[in-house]
Amino acid sequence: MAKELTTESYIDHHLTNLTCGHVGINEDAGIYKSFWTCDPYMVDKMGFWAFHVDSLFWSVFLGGIFLFFFKKGMSKNKGANIAPTGLQNFVEMCIEFVEDNVQSLFGSVRNTLIAPLALTVFVWILLMNLMDLVPVDFLPVLAGHIAYAVAGDSVSWITGPESFYFKVVPTTDPNITLGMAFAVFVLTIYYSITVKGPKAFIAELTLHPFGKWLIPVNFVLEMVNFIAKPISLGLRLFGNLYAGEMIFILIALMLFFSSVPIGIMGFGLHLVWALFHILIVALQAFIFMALTIAYLAMAHETEEH
Amino acid sequence: MNINATLLAQAVVMIVFVAICWKYVYPPILATMQEREKKISDGLEAAKKADDSLEEAKLAFDKELDKAKADAAEILEKANNRASQIVNDASSKAEAEAEKILTAAATNIENETNKAKEELRQQMSDIIIETTQKILGDEVSKEKHEAILKKAAEEL
Repeated sequence: MAKELTTESYIDHHLTNLTCGHVGINEDAGIYKSFWTCDPYMVDKMGFWAFHVDSLFWSVFLGGIFLFFFKKGMSKNKGANIAPTGLQNFVEMCIEFVEDNVQSLFGSVRNTLIAPLALTVFVWILLMNLMDLVPVDFLPVLAGHIAYAVAGDSVSWITGPESFYFKVVPTTDPNITLGMAFAVFVLTIYYSITVKGPKAFIAELTLHPFGKWLIPVNFVLEMVNFIAKPISLGLRLFGNLYAGEMIFILIALMLFFSSVPIGIMGFGLHLVWALFHILIVALQAFIFMALTIAYLAMAHETEEH
Repeated sequence: MNINATLLAQAVVMIVFVAICWKYVYPPILATMQEREKKISDGLEAAKKADDSLEEAKLAFDKELDKAKADAAEILEKANNRASQIVNDASSKAEAEAEKILTAAATNIENETNKAKEELRQQMSDIIIETTQKILGDEVSKEKHEAILKKAAEEL
C-alpha cells in the first residue's frame, strides 16, 4: 500500500504515533473478536486504552539512559578522595545546578524527594527534547525499514516501510507531557494533604478568596486555579516542542518538494532553526523543572496568605 | 494526537524513574559531593592553620635569633673584658715579680759586697798586724790593740 508521497501525507506521517491498543470488533456473523493490534487503521476503535508505543519507548529508553549514566558516573570513583573526572564532573554539575534551584525555590523546607525529582525531570525532559535535533526523517525511516524487514511478512498491516509510524520526540506527544504533569499533580496533592493536613488543604481550596459565605464560588475559582497548573505545565512543554518539530518538518519539506535553490535555503534554515531550537530544548526542560519545584514548594507552604 | 492511556503509562513510568533516582541514584552522588566538600574545606582550614603556625614559627625563630645574637654579643664582651683583665693582672704581677727579683738581687749584691769588704778588711788588718808584729816584735798583740785595730779597719 505504497501511498503517493504528498506534502499532506508526509506531514501526517511525521505527526502520527505508533499506537497499539485493544480492539473489539463485531464481525459479520455476530462473532465478537477482540485482540491487540498496532494497526494504524484500527486506532479509532481502540478508545482510551491505547498506548503510543513509540513515545513510551523513547521515554523509557531516555529515562534509562539518564539513570544508567548518573549511576555509572558515580560508582566508578567511589568516595570523595579522588578528584572527579569526565562523566562524574558532568553528573555533579547537573546535581549542583538542581540543588541550587531547589534551594532558591524551596527555601528552608527540606524534602529529600524534591531534588531527585527535579533532577529526573530536568535531565529526562532535556534528553527527550534533544531527540528533536535528530534529523526528522532519520529515525522514522530507519525504524520503518527495520520493521518492514523484520515483520513485513508476518504482520498484515506493515505493507511497506512507510506504513510503520514512528514518532521520535516524546515531548511532542501531549500524552507524555500531560502524563508527567499529572504525576507532578498527584505529588502536589499528596504533599498538600500530608504536610498541611487535609483540613488546611480543603480550607485553602474553599475559603479563598471570598470567605466562608461563598464557599461554592471559592471552590470553583480555586479549582480552576488548581487544575490549570498541571495542564499548563504539560501543554507548555508540548506546545513548544510540537511547534519546533512542526517547523523542522516544514523545513524538511523544502528539501523534498522544491527546486535546488529552495533546497539549499532549506539546509540553511534547518541549521539556523536547529541552533535556535537548542535554546528552546534546554529552556523548556528548565521551565518544567522550575515549575515542578515551585508547585511542590507551594504544597509545602503552610502559612495562610 | 489523541489523549489515551499513554498518559497514565507515562505518569507511572515517571513515578518509577523518580523513585529509582530518589532511592539509588541521587543519595550516593550527593553524599560523595558533600563528603568531598567537607574534605576540601577541612583541607583549606588545615592549610590556613599550617600557614598561621608557619608564621608563628617564623616569628619565634626571629625572636630566638635576636636573643641568640644578643647573648653572643654579651658573651663576647664579657670574654673581652675578662681577657684584658687577665692580661692586666699578668703584666702587673710580672712587673711586681721583676721588681722583687731586682730588689733581691740588689740586696744580695750589697750583702756580698759588704761581706767581701769585711773580709778584705779583716785580711788587711791581719796582714798589718802580722807585719807590725814582725816589725815590732811582741810589743804589739792583737789583744792589746784591739781598739786601735778596729778603728783602723773601719777607716779602711
